[in-house]
Amino acid sequence: MFSISRRRLDAWMINIALVIICLFALIPVATTVLISFKGERDIIRKPPNILPCDTPESAFDPSACRWSVEGYQRVLAPRPSDGLLPFTLTGNIVRIYIPNSFMYATSTALLVVFLSGMSGYAFSRYRFRGRQAMLVSILAITGVPLLTNLLALYHMGVNIRRAQLPFYDDRLFLVAVYTGFFLPLSVWIAKGFFDAIPRELEEAAVIDGCTPFSALLRISMPLALPGLMAIFLLTFVNVWNEFIAGYLLVAKNELKPAMFGLYEFLGQNIINLQVIAAACILIALPIVILFIFARRTFFAAMMEGAIKG
Amino acid sequence: MQRTEIRRKPRNRFRNLLPFWLILPTVVVILAIQVYPAFYTVWLSLHQRQPRGWDYVGVDNFQRLFRMGVFGESVGHTIVFLIGYTTLTLVLGFIIALLLNRKLKLSGLYITVLFVPWIIADIIVGIVFRLLVVPDYGLLSGILQNPAIFPPNGISVLTASRPPSWFGGFPFPPAPAMIYLIMASAWRALPFITLLLLAAMQTVSNEIIESSRMDGANGWQVVRHILIPLMLPTLVVALFSLTLGGMNGVGMVFSLTGGGPGTSTEVLSYLLYVLGWSQLEFGRAAALALLIAVVNWALILATLRITRVEERSH
Amino acid sequence: MKRAWTILVFALLLGFVFAACAAPAAPSAPGEAAPAAQVRDFITWYQYDEKNEDPASDERVGNQYLRDTIPQFNEAFAGKWRWVNQPKAWDRMTAELVAAVQAGGDVPDLFEMGSSGLTELYKNGALQDLREWASAQSWYADMDPNALQACTGPDGGLYCIPIAERPHLVYVWKDRFPEGFPTRPEGYLAAGERLKAEGLYAMTFFGSTDFNGNGATRAVFMAFASFGGGYDDGQGNMLLNRPENVAAVEFLRTMVQSGYVPEIAFAGGFQEEEAFKDASAGSFPTGLFGYRYVNPLTAPNGTKYSKGNEEDMLDAIAAGDVILRPFPAPEGKTPGCNNEVTGFGIPVGAKNPEAAHDYINWIMSPEQNADWVLRPGAGFPALLTTRASEQFQTPFYRQAGEVVAASACRPWHGSLERRPEALRLIMGAVYRLIKEDPSLDIATELQRAQDEYNAGG
Repeated sequence: MFSISRRRLDAWMINIALVIICLFALIPVATTVLISFKGERDIIRKPPNILPCDTPESAFDPSACRWSVEGYQRVLAPRPSDGLLPFTLTGNIVRIYIPNSFMYATSTALLVVFLSGMSGYAFSRYRFRGRQAMLVSILAITGVPLLTNLLALYHMGVNIRRAQLPFYDDRLFLVAVYTGFFLPLSVWIAKGFFDAIPRELEEAAVIDGCTPFSALLRISMPLALPGLMAIFLLTFVNVWNEFIAGYLLVAKNELKPAMFGLYEFLGQNIINLQVIAAACILIALPIVILFIFARRTFFAAMMEGAIKG
Repeated sequence: MQRTEIRRKPRNRFRNLLPFWLILPTVVVILAIQVYPAFYTVWLSLHQRQPRGWDYVGVDNFQRLFRMGVFGESVGHTIVFLIGYTTLTLVLGFIIALLLNRKLKLSGLYITVLFVPWIIADIIVGIVFRLLVVPDYGLLSGILQNPAIFPPNGISVLTASRPPSWFGGFPFPPAPAMIYLIMASAWRALPFITLLLLAAMQTVSNEIIESSRMDGANGWQVVRHILIPLMLPTLVVALFSLTLGGMNGVGMVFSLTGGGPGTSTEVLSYLLYVLGWSQLEFGRAAALALLIAVVNWALILATLRITRVEERSH
Repeated sequence: MKRAWTILVFALLLGFVFAACAAPAAPSAPGEAAPAAQVRDFITWYQYDEKNEDPASDERVGNQYLRDTIPQFNEAFAGKWRWVNQPKAWDRMTAELVAAVQAGGDVPDLFEMGSSGLTELYKNGALQDLREWASAQSWYADMDPNALQACTGPDGGLYCIPIAERPHLVYVWKDRFPEGFPTRPEGYLAAGERLKAEGLYAMTFFGSTDFNGNGATRAVFMAFASFGGGYDDGQGNMLLNRPENVAAVEFLRTMVQSGYVPEIAFAGGFQEEEAFKDASAGSFPTGLFGYRYVNPLTAPNGTKYSKGNEEDMLDAIAAGDVILRPFPAPEGKTPGCNNEVTGFGIPVGAKNPEAAHDYINWIMSPEQNADWVLRPGAGFPALLTTRASEQFQTPFYRQAGEVVAASACRPWHGSLERRPEALRLIMGAVYRLIKEDPSLDIATELQRAQDEYNAGG
């Protein structure tokens, strides 16, 4: 009897501790949301107040709250129009940078899924000379961070631009860089997912008259789809969140990604914290929503990747 | 690659070469984006830009790098940052993993909530933490800068100076901005480390723990003598991956402190950015990039060795 | 079921890719009928963005200027040029131009630049020598020789066309100094003590090491120069360790350590301006162009200047609330200040240099010149005729003119060539001495920065 209640007490304590930890994890996010809904006159107060709800008479009066969407208005810059919607959003972030990021992230993720799916399959199913060595060197490359290679990639980009290739633009180069950067880890993750699919299925298909390639397409790929989806999502988020390469490797402003747009806002709004906060939230929101809906897939990819390196 | 062969009995030529074709694109991309730049960096580190072109200068770039006063300082900052960052993240991650290791009804919810910081870009995390401590206007500044709470003058995180060093030139104790940078970085890395440690913790069988409890071991003793030794390889992998990430991340410094106040949060990765893209000193920047890369490789090889040992022991 | 869902998501994402890929292409295709064959694009790089209509953006003045003048230019050169501006971040423009020139493509026809970026661009072969073309133009003889000198490269070529000169001076809230703004450093310190007792500050300034030590071009240089010092020896070497500079650092250190300067002066990112906007700091040594950024304003007597553009500061000056003064200098010394030139360069590899020539001549015309100088230029006109014109006889320009006449203004860099490196070293040393560690020996630290600069080459 005593031990049961004690165990229950323990569970309560642990739950309380975890709730407190979760609150701490969310404080910075919550304050940013809070700041983004303040108006300028509440932002530039000294000393700052947490909620914009005070009046000369009382410290907190819910009916006097001065919530404002000024920050969002300035990021989105809505202007009346006679199109489908009564207004269009003219802010650079929504007009240029977020679509760009979407394009970079999606195309990189598709490429990475495609390439890592093929090579992951080969590493999982075939035993050839140099396999182990290649696997290990791919893993070793995983760890080399973008930053140290960036200098060379920057010069590479400059030289390619000088060659004036037809059809070339910075977008292709950036997607190639992201692909090369996020591919190695994905190869390992893909190999792990293929390893988990029983080989017997394919062999049965081959015996039934499939070529190995169509066995790959018809049997293994569909079974590996959740795994490939995980790689897709992981790469998508990584590209979306990447700042320094997009900032340095792309010359034209119209081609720069969302994180650069954020940096631009930072440079132009020194003390307008509500604008910066609104921009942060608009850029992070798609990713957070994606994560909440697909968290299991994320965890699967992460664990597969984390154990390897 | 040309000598790729298949040990299994070949059925036809296409089958023979299939793995080769499957791997080839990956190898090409990796060679172009990862291997070639490494060699190019070596070349760059031995050259200097002149109005007419590149001049070979031998190890001059390295010598000039070492002569920079800020280089030695950045090494110190990097060490302080890494020690603080890895310790804080591992200890907190371990504790949270211990809590989550119990079977709780809500653990799915907890993990989801705890994971939100990991999904947010480092540059955004930097900005979010910066907003809190903007001098005079940030919400935390209202508390930290209040002299009644933090005598004598309050703390302005982004402008407070480094305290006098205890060990000659080594930057310890760190500036408030450095501590804050460590906290922000740990905040973002915690979810990942927690999940990693939790997964390792769950592989430790309950029987061992139960039986040691029967033998009268208390909670701390179980952790100290059973969990930690069994999880050691994972802990080391976590440590190395944190070190690698902390060593090379530049986004957080970029958006949170910009290396300041003064140089008190200027770590090596940020110095690399400054040399390469603010001062256009590509040769010297490449020299620094190589030094960082050497440390990275050492960490990666050590990780590989440990994980291989782990695989063998299973 | 699950598989179907996954495939659906994939298809959706693919759709998005195509949508996203198509979107950026749209603006490049002109919406109207194909323009006449001879109309060509004239591409400029400004630090301003005409598409940014955010009324609170820090660059709102320049943004509005471009928005107003792009149609004017296109009308004046209808059928010949169409002005296309590409906005660039001010602290990254030089690096981007160097990269673009080295890549041999995508350079603008015209580059908005300041004289302090000249050597970096020159060293990397990024700018055309404009001496021959410029000296054939009618306005050349009307140019302030000092401005032309600032645009002259080490080889004697003319690498930029100066439009405005931007001397540095001190913006002062008059009511914070009832006995007049001090002319001696001792007076400045005394005023600091008096204001501190009222919970106020004597001075705010760019005290952080942010933006690669850009603070060393501003108040720090004014202090050094007013004490009779400077950064170089005239031979291309750095010369920091000299008694005048030590005295200047000693003065700044006293100001900071005695609490006469607000903490926000060290927060970076131009946050020091906040202390002047609300008049909590009585004076603000900075560039003449500061008036564009430092607004809205609240005077010590409570008057608000809240148009939120460059007119706020000009109004405050016209009303007499803000006055302009030289930096206080010790007995027997002339107040010093940094004087940079802003104008245009034409990059090597520009596709339409004739367009840039047309544009520069257009900017030199009486109607355009004053407008450029007053808004993006924010300084004194380099053209002497414009300087004598009505628009530059306002209270603001009259006061500024008096300040400049009473000071000895010169470019901060003197003979130094590796300017970004010099700025970072100088500002790093000064920051350490005045803010971080007041116990450090000034001469030793200055010597160390100087040695490091002079050793690398």
